[in-house]
Amino acid sequence: MHYPEPISKLIDSFMKLPGIGPKTAVRLAFFVLNMKEDTVLDFAKALVNAKRNLTYCTICGHITDKDPCYICEDERRDKTTICVVQDPKDVIAMEKMKEYNGLYHVLHGAISPMDGIGPEDIKIPELLKRLQDETVQEVILATNPNIEGEATAMYISRLLKPTGIKITRIAHGLPVGGDLEYADEVTLSKALEGRREL
Amino acid sequence: MFLTHLSLKNYRNYKQEDIEFTNNINVILGENAQGKTNMMEAIYVLAMAKSHRTTNDKELIRWDEEYAKIEGRAIKRNGPLSLELIISKKGKKAKSNHIEQQKLSQYIGQINVVMFAPEDLHLVKGSPQVRRRFIDMEIGQVSPVYMHDLSQYQKILQQRNHYLKLLQTKQQHDETVLDILTQQLIELAAKITLKRHEFLQLLQKWAEPIHYEISRGLEKLQIKYHPSVNVSEKMELSRIIEAYSEKFVTIKEKEIDRGMTLAGPHRDDISFDVNEKDVQTFGSQGQQRTTALSIKLAEIELIFSEIGDYPILLLDDVLSELDDFRQTHLLDAIRQKVQTFVTTTSIDGIEHDVIKEATIYKVSSGHISNR
Repeated sequence: MHYPEPISKLIDSFMKLPGIGPKTAVRLAFFVLNMKEDTVLDFAKALVNAKRNLTYCTICGHITDKDPCYICEDERRDKTTICVVQDPKDVIAMEKMKEYNGLYHVLHGAISPMDGIGPEDIKIPELLKRLQDETVQEVILATNPNIEGEATAMYISRLLKPTGIKITRIAHGLPVGGDLEYADEVTLSKALEGRREL
Repeated sequence: MFLTHLSLKNYRNYKQEDIEFTNNINVILGENAQGKTNMMEAIYVLAMAKSHRTTNDKELIRWDEEYAKIEGRAIKRNGPLSLELIISKKGKKAKSNHIEQQKLSQYIGQINVVMFAPEDLHLVKGSPQVRRRFIDMEIGQVSPVYMHDLSQYQKILQQRNHYLKLLQTKQQHDETVLDILTQQLIELAAKITLKRHEFLQLLQKWAEPIHYEISRGLEKLQIKYHPSVNVSEKMELSRIIEAYSEKFVTIKEKEIDRGMTLAGPHRDDISFDVNEKDVQTFGSQGQQRTTALSIKLAEIELIFSEIGDYPILLLDDVLSELDDFRQTHLLDAIRQKVQTFVTTTSIDGIEHDVIKEATIYKVSSGHISNR
């Protein structure tokens, strides 16, 4: 199949995005050809702007267009609690909940020796620095409940033990509103392990 | 439970075959290299999503084809079940009752099989790896949580070995990370050790009387578990965790020196003693064969006691290897209750009634016919 060069370049560009294979890329490329020129320009601008104007917050590591980010800036937020997450997307997820009023710290990864990621390769030193002044009283470890996330949480908790700051780990188990019968065995056994007294 | 229907597509030497089975004894008759074992393997793969003969799934796909497909219909105690497994070069896709299963660990164990093949003699004679594989496969059939723990363990083990290599070559110096990985490893190691210990105790309970009978009251079989830490008869998880913790403290220097994990379930072994002597070293061929047979028969009973349904028994080329007495014992044990598939090149020598009642299938260069 031979496409004119401009469109084959466009197809190649779409294929660089996650979850997009050759077929979808072709469909998207041809769709763009039929879009209004203004819309296409806006689209292109949005792409460039997102890349140019967004940086990472120098305090918490969340994506932001101004530094420090709106969460770190917000005076009404509780400065005594920091929630540690792996990814900026996790901050968004936590924020959707609208229940948490503390600050965040984004690690940008998890400890995984196989992938060559050690504690110094993610934002753990930055976290320790933030904890040096004494306003923070609780650190919530909300890394993913898999091996790497768990190792990262355990590592941080061990580092922070001597400081006397309260360290907590988010719970894992059954999803809310779910039926017990639909849960898989592994999740169920985790939920059972983490049961609490009423 | 029993398999009523099997359909193979591009599986090893089969292009497309559909076969119906009876719920009693099915004898697969054929010359060498016609596809008897391949068919047994297909039933095994349908149940376990992996082969007992190879770890390379690509070998299961017919030459020059893209994928292989095995479909089966079974009747279980609580109703019918249809299974489908597609093996392609990219991976496996499993469906149960037409619903795709996200995790293979959810798929495995819906039908239970016990395979007895000439290779099973390795269970006694072979390397510890063979015996570990055996216990993992068997526990996995009745416990999905065990499968999960085992795969998590493998992952942490890889991470830990990798980190030990970094410490060994002085690319890393932070021992806190090692401690964390050790702690994670121990938690799963203890669970796996406990499960294996419990399983082997159960297996012992079933295998001992069976072995006693097959050996005409002459031999007492004992299955012994050898983990890297000491376990006593009644072990609690917390005690095993403690034992592992102590162990890892003492071997830490050595582990860094060698750059690998030196204790844990990946180094377990089991041994079989007959009259208090290790069969692997001191047993005769016959004793080793009897031991393997007792363990397989014990497995059938064990699965029945765990799930309330008899597994499907696959006897690949072993009937001819047993003497008359053991043959009779084996066939008596399965009679009327276990659906059995038997492969053999000839049924002439076998006089047992069970074989006379059996349905005979003929396999010839990748085609199966009901005779």
